Amino acid sequence: MTIRSQSNAALRICFINGVLPLWRSPLLIAAQFLTPFSFLFFLFVIAPRSLFPFGVMGGLLFTALFAGSSMLTDCAYLRLERQFQQVFVASPVRPIAYIMGMALSELAFTAPAATVFFVILLVVVPVGLVGLVALIGIFLLTWLMATTLGFFVSTLFIQLRESWPIATLIFSLLSVIPPVFYPATEIPQNWQWVALLAPSTFSAQLADRAAGLGGTLTTGSLILNAPAFDVAMLVGITLLFGTAALFLSRWREP
Amino acid sequence: MEALEARGLSKTFDQRGHIVRALDDFNLIIHEGQLFSVLGRNGAGKTTFLKIASTLLLPTSGTLSLFGHDAISAPKEVRALIAMVPQEGKLFYHITPRELVREYLRIRGASRETAVCRTDEVLEAMGLTAYGNTVAFQLSGGLRQRALVAMILATRAPFLFLDEPTLGMDPFARRQVWEVIRNVARQGSTVLFTTHYLDEAEELSDELAVIERGRLMFRGSSETLRATVGREVRLQFSTGFKPEELSAYGKVYTGRNHLTLLTSRSSVRELTELALTRGIEMTVGPVTLEEAFLELVGKRIEEE
Repeated sequence: MTIRSQSNAALRICFINGVLPLWRSPLLIAAQFLTPFSFLFFLFVIAPRSLFPFGVMGGLLFTALFAGSSMLTDCAYLRLERQFQQVFVASPVRPIAYIMGMALSELAFTAPAATVFFVILLVVVPVGLVGLVALIGIFLLTWLMATTLGFFVSTLFIQLRESWPIATLIFSLLSVIPPVFYPATEIPQNWQWVALLAPSTFSAQLADRAAGLGGTLTTGSLILNAPAFDVAMLVGITLLFGTAALFLSRWREP
Repeated sequence: MEALEARGLSKTFDQRGHIVRALDDFNLIIHEGQLFSVLGRNGAGKTTFLKIASTLLLPTSGTLSLFGHDAISAPKEVRALIAMVPQEGKLFYHITPRELVREYLRIRGASRETAVCRTDEVLEAMGLTAYGNTVAFQLSGGLRQRALVAMILATRAPFLFLDEPTLGMDPFARRQVWEVIRNVARQGSTVLFTTHYLDEAEELSDELAVIERGRLMFRGSSETLRATVGREVRLQFSTGFKPEELSAYGKVYTGRNHLTLLTSRSSVRELTELALTRGIEMTVGPVTLEEAFLELVGKRIEEE
């Protein structure tokens, strides 16, 4: 199969796993809104109003990260419970088409909530066109990073039930604990390096910069605080997870 | 031409320190265009073999080729030629059988016209036209299974793997599926399937293989398998005989209201007269494939 036919396969997998379920059960969208808006509401009630834009940005990035969590559980479910991934393995469809198809279907689920967060962000923060384009790019890179990680991890399970807590664990560590919903400056300066262990920190740093929110890391190192470092790390980690998904995941069982 | 050739295939699984040998020095050749069934008890190694052959699973050792392509080191070439119904596979919830078949064909690279045409054909042949636009979660289990099998058969891939394709289907549906499978084979596809329905194996297979504990026990036609039993006649008696009275004539199976005896032709006259004398109802027929299978595998279990 050519690149064109693999792209076509990915889009059609997105259609059957993402578009059709959304079309026939629109309530599925609600689940995508629930957690990030709960966090935002919580922040709105307890945090100073000056932190509200960070909460909106956090919600936006959360939807991209949550796509990774859904990717992990959906792929594990389709492989272990429905035996459906096998139908694609034993076919001319390449792993990249399946991964992209599944990732795009997660994006379809995420898109309504992400759109609402983008709109709120544009209302509360004066983001210019360049900033908006940069934010869309950061959102898409975060989605790609999270979904490729989700797929790779999904292939490691031999029991479906194990995948649920692990998905919650991984994506809580990526979205709730690092400075995604709050400014990095809230972390004591001596401990800010810990935030660099979470890939989502780089997304949040870049997104906060693109929106002109400030509050980025002040570790004392010029390199670590530079936007180029965040870009390099986010792209590098996305490539790393993408490579793991393509070449190290168990497309064929060992 | 050989469509599939497995040589010295072995597969072991480490189940928490306990090594399970699912396939053990397994050898098999399937010729192009054959309808071939693999029989065996639960856990005998049928699905493991199908998974290895369809590039879903790596063997521990041995070689396997499909149409001359190495399935272990060159899976891409093999995958272009195959399609598979996995055991207990299930559909996406929100899709209709028509969408499923059409989209799967398109995903595999079929043109729009081909996909639409083949979808209509296979739905019709599988008795699914009336359910073609019903969402999967509203279909019964048997109909969903039929849609899944339809999706794979519609590919007309050169080699089709069907792992228990008619599981959960009613007898009418099973016969419809058999007809479609026969048609696909007539059009040139090689079909390898597993089943626990011995009538299905007999109806469909050109040849069959019996696996027991990961080893090939038998390979040949259903007639040859029946002949291996050594008792060619099957007598069924209503109540009246005691099992020990018949055991001297052959193998006795006790049913709820009847006894079944597998015996040689030479005993039929004597037993018929005995049954008539006692007023016992009796039917005579050939040994079924299921009985031959039970004999063959049962003997091996007793030996071990």
